[in-house]
Amino acid sequence: MTRPRRSLFVKYFMTLFVAAAVPLTLGAASDAWFVYRDQCRHLNEVLQVEARSAADRIQTFIDGIGDQLGWVVQFPWTQSEDDRRRIDALRLLQQVPAIASVMLIDQAGTERVFVSRLRLNRTGRGADMSADPAVVGARAGGVWYGPVQYQHDSEPYMRIAVAGKRPAAGIVIAEINLKLIRDVIAAIKIGDTGHAFVIDGSGRLIAHPDISLVLRGGAASDEFERLKSAVRAAKGSAAITIGNDGGPVVALAVRAANVGWTVIAQQPIHEAFESTRIALWRSLALIAIGAIVASALAYWLAHRMSGPIRHLEDGVARIGMGKFDHRIAIHSGDELEQLAIRFNEMAKELAISQHKSVRINRLKQFLPPQVAELVETSNQRLLDEQRRDVVAIFGDLRGFTACSTRAEPETLMTVLREYYEAVGAVTTRHQATLIRFAGDGVMVLVNAPVACENPAHRAVRLAIDMQAAVQSLVTSWRARGYAIGFGMGLAMGPATVGAVGYEGRVDYTAIGNVVNLASRLCDTANDGQILLDPVAAGKVKDSFALVSLGKRLMKGYDDAVQIFAVARHGTAMQDHACPLQPADACHEAFACPRNPVAST
Amino acid sequence: MVWPVAAQSQEATRPYRIFWFSTQTQPDPFLDGFRDGMRARGYVEGKNLTFELQYAPGDPEALRQAISEIKRGKIDLVVSSGPATRAMTAVREVPVLFALSGDPVELGIVKSLAQPGGNFTGSTFLSLELAGKRVELLRDIFPRLSTLIALSNTNHPGEQSEWRATREACQKLGIAPVYVPFSGPRELEAALARAANIHADALLVFPDAATMVHRASIAEFAINRRLPSMFGWSEYCEAGGLASYGANQKATYFSLATYADRILRGESPADLPVVQPTNFEFAINLGTAKLLGIDLDESAILFRANKVIE
Repeated sequence: MTRPRRSLFVKYFMTLFVAAAVPLTLGAASDAWFVYRDQCRHLNEVLQVEARSAADRIQTFIDGIGDQLGWVVQFPWTQSEDDRRRIDALRLLQQVPAIASVMLIDQAGTERVFVSRLRLNRTGRGADMSADPAVVGARAGGVWYGPVQYQHDSEPYMRIAVAGKRPAAGIVIAEINLKLIRDVIAAIKIGDTGHAFVIDGSGRLIAHPDISLVLRGGAASDEFERLKSAVRAAKGSAAITIGNDGGPVVALAVRAANVGWTVIAQQPIHEAFESTRIALWRSLALIAIGAIVASALAYWLAHRMSGPIRHLEDGVARIGMGKFDHRIAIHSGDELEQLAIRFNEMAKELAISQHKSVRINRLKQFLPPQVAELVETSNQRLLDEQRRDVVAIFGDLRGFTACSTRAEPETLMTVLREYYEAVGAVTTRHQATLIRFAGDGVMVLVNAPVACENPAHRAVRLAIDMQAAVQSLVTSWRARGYAIGFGMGLAMGPATVGAVGYEGRVDYTAIGNVVNLASRLCDTANDGQILLDPVAAGKVKDSFALVSLGKRLMKGYDDAVQIFAVARHGTAMQDHACPLQPADACHEAFACPRNPVAST
Repeated sequence: MVWPVAAQSQEATRPYRIFWFSTQTQPDPFLDGFRDGMRARGYVEGKNLTFELQYAPGDPEALRQAISEIKRGKIDLVVSSGPATRAMTAVREVPVLFALSGDPVELGIVKSLAQPGGNFTGSTFLSLELAGKRVELLRDIFPRLSTLIALSNTNHPGEQSEWRATREACQKLGIAPVYVPFSGPRELEAALARAANIHADALLVFPDAATMVHRASIAEFAINRRLPSMFGWSEYCEAGGLASYGANQKATYFSLATYADRILRGESPADLPVVQPTNFEFAINLGTAKLLGIDLDESAILFRANKVIE
């Protein structure tokens, strides 16, 4: 037997596993996705707020300085007030730490006062500054912001110029140390390590929480310029790019309008998506745990399904091989257990049935099938030893022994087979008991083990039918040149009947005088003749035409026995020592009983 | 996160060794500033940090012996205060943090302020640029100033540049400078004796280890000679000097600890730009002014002071 390619276990396991794992995986994955999406949104907002806040603070810082500068250009210049102006400028230095120097310029564009934290102060008319871009710019727009410049290529400075409301008030130019913007920027923290920084138009760093990056000069300006253009390409929303330190970052750029700088708020990507990563790991862990649980559950269920089924299969195979005592033990408490119980019942039934059929087969050796069934199903005690009236019928082929010396064994076997078949068929038809075949002889019993009504009648009818059946064979045998005949004898009387035998080979037999008498009558009978003892003849004389053959002495009997023969068609009850007759004549003789009893 | 904690505890098992080189005397306000800075960075002395102090008051050359130890011992960082750096130029094995009043580029220990490029970095106090400013401030305090003694230790790196800057400022302001140089702390007394013989209106003392160590006696000398005095750092002023203008040393050393922390964490000093001070402190000692009989016109000078010592 070939096993199916995929076992039930694998099918159940896969189905159950998929049924449990797929929704779980989908759930966890979608959860992680939503966390990621929310985090992106959140990150965009946070970076937006922080960058905007940084830009605002820088604007405020610069505007604040501009406002402070406004104080020194409120009054128009007069001839001799340089010293008072100098004090104003010095106070400004004192007030605003980021201012490194202040230059005051009169309405003509001439320097009048210069005070500085580092360089020497100057008072009085100095250089003509009217062409200086600061002066030009302030005159044009009120406030002018210069480009960022780096002292010693390290410290960022910037000039701011503010013009008075009236031209007569002149202009103030202040140098601002931009290192102080760091304090503005450093206060901004995004997460643990996220920060904001400021880049000017050429990509040079102006302010960074790590001031050393600013002081390092223009070395990294290409890197910052690249970062700036990458982030600004995102147009105000967060972009993922490589940060200045080489690691991936999420960054967002905002412009500080008044000075034209770019504020970039950035956070390392690993930190920005920390929560997403945690959610992802949580999801993966859930999926893993779910998969383990699902597979364990699927394994258990599949095993629970397929295990009993294998068990059933195995059990059924054993039962199929004839082991009817095998019992399938399944205690799953479900339909499978029910099925196993059914199988067990079936096995039990099969065992009983087989046992029965063995016995029936045995009975069929000597009983017609229906009688055997009847004996088996109704009353087995029928086979027990008992004494009762029976009719014993003997039949014997005449001339077979002589024939057997001449004929081929195959031919003899054919003759015997045809003969047995014919005898068996008639016996079965009349529901008589075929006791045995013995070579060319046959013994049949009527009224045992199954009792019947009017056994003598039945026996005579059977004998007539058997004689007729065999005579038809005899005709064909003779046609083939075998001189074979058939004679019969039957007697009625009490006999001891019962089953005898050993080790399963059981014969049903009858012992008694009636058997011997019937056998002797058969020996006495000529071909085509059926001889009866007086008892049987007495019983059937009203129904069948009998011919009394007078008393004869028989072997084993002291007294002569009155013998009757069944009369052939057309013959009366007369002395009729019937010699061997032509077959067709014999046949004719038995064909028509007077009383058509159970001839079917 | 668990790792950083584990890493810290691992670090804690091996304390960092910092060599402190100085030509000052103890107690050392600069060392205190640096220690405060390290403490603010989470370092605990004796636990994850040990200091080994090497002092040679006023004499950088005396540190040579200790410097040779650097090459042998397992040292994480050297901090050299002031002119001690001069003796350190040959050190290449260990990162060196300096706090220098002179020009580190001129001294040859850094390639540029923006990118030091070697094992040195730290702070420079811009003495050179401030030199002229000090003359100007002295003039503002004492407008009748015409002759100025400039007391200078020639052993100090960049001393000549500072003298040149001072001279130029004096020239612009119409003041006659008198140069009183000395070489090392041993010559200081002789230099003061020479100064005593000069008829001058005021005294300008260049900030330097030697003068810092003897700041009290110099200030006393100035008061005795009735000379308004100008110094580089407020420590001089606290010791009796009339005025000082310069970066706050203690604050500079405090912030130097930031670099120390970064270097101990593995950053290279070559990439850490030399820091220049942003804020300059103008200190005035009113007691000294009273002793000298100088009336500090409030509207002109005092408002400019960041630190007024009563």
